[in-house]
Amino acid sequence: MAKRSQVVATVVAAAIVLGGAAAIIAPKLGGGSSDDAVVTVKLWDEAVAAAYEDSFAQFTEAHPDITVEVVVDPWATYWDNLVTDVAGGTAADIFWLNTFFTTYADNDNLIDVGAELGDGAADGWDPAVVAQYTRDGKLWGVPQLADGGKALLYNADLLADAGLNDSDLEGLAWSPTESADTFVDVAKALTVDTAGRRGDDPEFDGSALAQYGYNAAFDQDAIIFNYVGSNGGTWRTEDGFEFASDASAEAIHYAVDLVTRHHVAPSAADTNENGNFSKEQFLQGNLALFETGLYNLKEVVDGAQFTWGVAPVPAGPAGARTVTNGIIAAGNAATNNKEATLEVLRWLGSQDGSTAIGASGSAVPAVLDARGAYTAFWDAQGVDISPFFAGETFTLPVLTSTHAQEAEAEYTPIFKSMFLGDTEVDAGLRDAQEKANAALAD
Amino acid sequence: MRSLGRTRRKAGEALTAWALLTPSLIGVVLFMLVPIAIVVWLSFYRWNLISPPRFVGLANWVGIMTNGRFANSLLVTGAFVLIVIPTQTALGLFFANLLHRRLPGSGFFRTLYVLPWVCAPIAVGVMWTWVLAPSHGALNTLIGHRIEWLSDQALALPSVALVSVWSQVGYVTLFFLSGLGAIPETITEAAQLDGAGRLRIFWTITVPLLRPTLFFVLLTTAITAAQTFDTVYVLTGGGPLYATDVVGARIYYEAFQNHEFGSAAAMALVVFILLAAMALLQKLYFDKRTTYDLST
Repeated sequence: MAKRSQVVATVVAAAIVLGGAAAIIAPKLGGGSSDDAVVTVKLWDEAVAAAYEDSFAQFTEAHPDITVEVVVDPWATYWDNLVTDVAGGTAADIFWLNTFFTTYADNDNLIDVGAELGDGAADGWDPAVVAQYTRDGKLWGVPQLADGGKALLYNADLLADAGLNDSDLEGLAWSPTESADTFVDVAKALTVDTAGRRGDDPEFDGSALAQYGYNAAFDQDAIIFNYVGSNGGTWRTEDGFEFASDASAEAIHYAVDLVTRHHVAPSAADTNENGNFSKEQFLQGNLALFETGLYNLKEVVDGAQFTWGVAPVPAGPAGARTVTNGIIAAGNAATNNKEATLEVLRWLGSQDGSTAIGASGSAVPAVLDARGAYTAFWDAQGVDISPFFAGETFTLPVLTSTHAQEAEAEYTPIFKSMFLGDTEVDAGLRDAQEKANAALAD
Repeated sequence: MRSLGRTRRKAGEALTAWALLTPSLIGVVLFMLVPIAIVVWLSFYRWNLISPPRFVGLANWVGIMTNGRFANSLLVTGAFVLIVIPTQTALGLFFANLLHRRLPGSGFFRTLYVLPWVCAPIAVGVMWTWVLAPSHGALNTLIGHRIEWLSDQALALPSVALVSVWSQVGYVTLFFLSGLGAIPETITEAAQLDGAGRLRIFWTITVPLLRPTLFFVLLTTAITAAQTFDTVYVLTGGGPLYATDVVGARIYYEAFQNHEFGSAAAMALVVFILLAAMALLQKLYFDKRTTYDLST
């Protein structure tokens, strides 16, 4: 009896050990019997992912031996997952990158697209995006998206309630000098407190808003960069941050004042941790002027139940300057299917491959020949997108340091605190800049 | 001959014992000892996961000791634990007493209290962001007044702590209920016959006899509270301006936002040592004051 129990115990233990070993080894052995290559493409944008599905359906018709799988990882977790995926050797064959690409480029995690696809490949791509993602003479991805500039989406019904119309939004100017500013008065007229008083009423209660005039917030791309740029300021150079310099500080002060002094925008308590708050308020008809990029346009078309339109952003002392940015599809240097991956990258960089993005209206393709589809989509929708391209656009230089993400983590809490009104702006900017630059140098 | 047989039998028993122990041993070594050893090793390296680790000696340790942010996160965690543990222990004891009386609806409430505990913390966090939202949030709508629960420097930590209490109190209640059930009724009946009132019975009989349960509950909930991450991650992201930057979140941000896995490892080891010390102190305290055998 004792012997039998010993045997059983030994067999059970051995089975567990062998089972564990098999579980570890099995995935390495691979089980695929098919010759088909599977290429995974990872991105954070649901709308573009849907367009990719259409695009890759065409690709597979032409390349039946290559299957493309699209994986969406939301922005909130994208970067945390990417670093562990790359480190663990489980990253997608192709993944989207923004200006955080430098860490991966400098660690040889990416395919040098310029070298692999040939010199002529970049001729058909947006030169600004190509320049943005060229580092040390190498191009680290196939340009996929290129924002236009920014514009104001307006709720025509709320404008009418305030006795305004779209022509009142033409030629608006913001300025740190109050006498030269025409924007705050309009924003005040469009802001209403819970007692129904407008922002220009002496009894107006800015702590209890029922309707917001404008979406000033710590939103770097849609708000902050544009104010800094249109005041002639510099957010950053290749070597570090300069947002505490005079022109930049003036601009940021103005944006903060819209929230904490004039109360024409939602409180930072609403917007700091919920980046979609302003968009939701606009779609619900509670926000009159929504400054944003083309990336939100499709959602507004689908969701807005009121009359709306597009107007230019207010011009600053240095003109109407807004930021634009590009996104690339980067090839994973550790891919097991390099040839198939290059084939998919080549497709993404072609007119045929990127037309689905434009035709869906979800974003501006960085492939120049595919832009016609984008314009045609919005023409068919009856939406005039020209204000997005009306002003001067600029791109932020890519930092030489590979610690951009760390620097952003340093300055973000301080900016949020400034927008909450808890930190004095000038002191906060100096502190934030010092900490961010220290993180870059670390 | 007989001694040879005895030796063989003993060897066989030892083999059986080892065979039975092996699965657990593999688990302990692979999933506890090896990771701890790796974390210790990592704390002497600078590593961003994607470039090769670089030996930096004690630099990570010096860095976290001199960087005010880690000290701040320890203080925030201490304050968080001090709010959470007394509150949820008192509430758990209170609810357990009510349930122990087997009043009508006890079964329903027993299930109700446990529901938040069995919910995924991230889901709980998301739900509470809606409840505590300053504009259109359920709580502010209910009280008819705008309070910025999660972005006010003074309110953020208590708010997050109360969410934690809400989600953990069912767990505490269950254990206290079980502890109360183990106290022989004859003891309380004898005290009643001697003229002791309800409060006196509670403080002089129930609480002392609950000490084994209390020890377990305090130990496990204090460790859980000190390791809180997900609730903070969802509700405040450690803000406003590090007011809710508990150490669990700080370790995460150090690793995944700053890509300083070596520093994060050093922080994790400090927390490990502090929690082990706290557990030891609790054990020493309760060892002298706990009665486990209620039959004597």
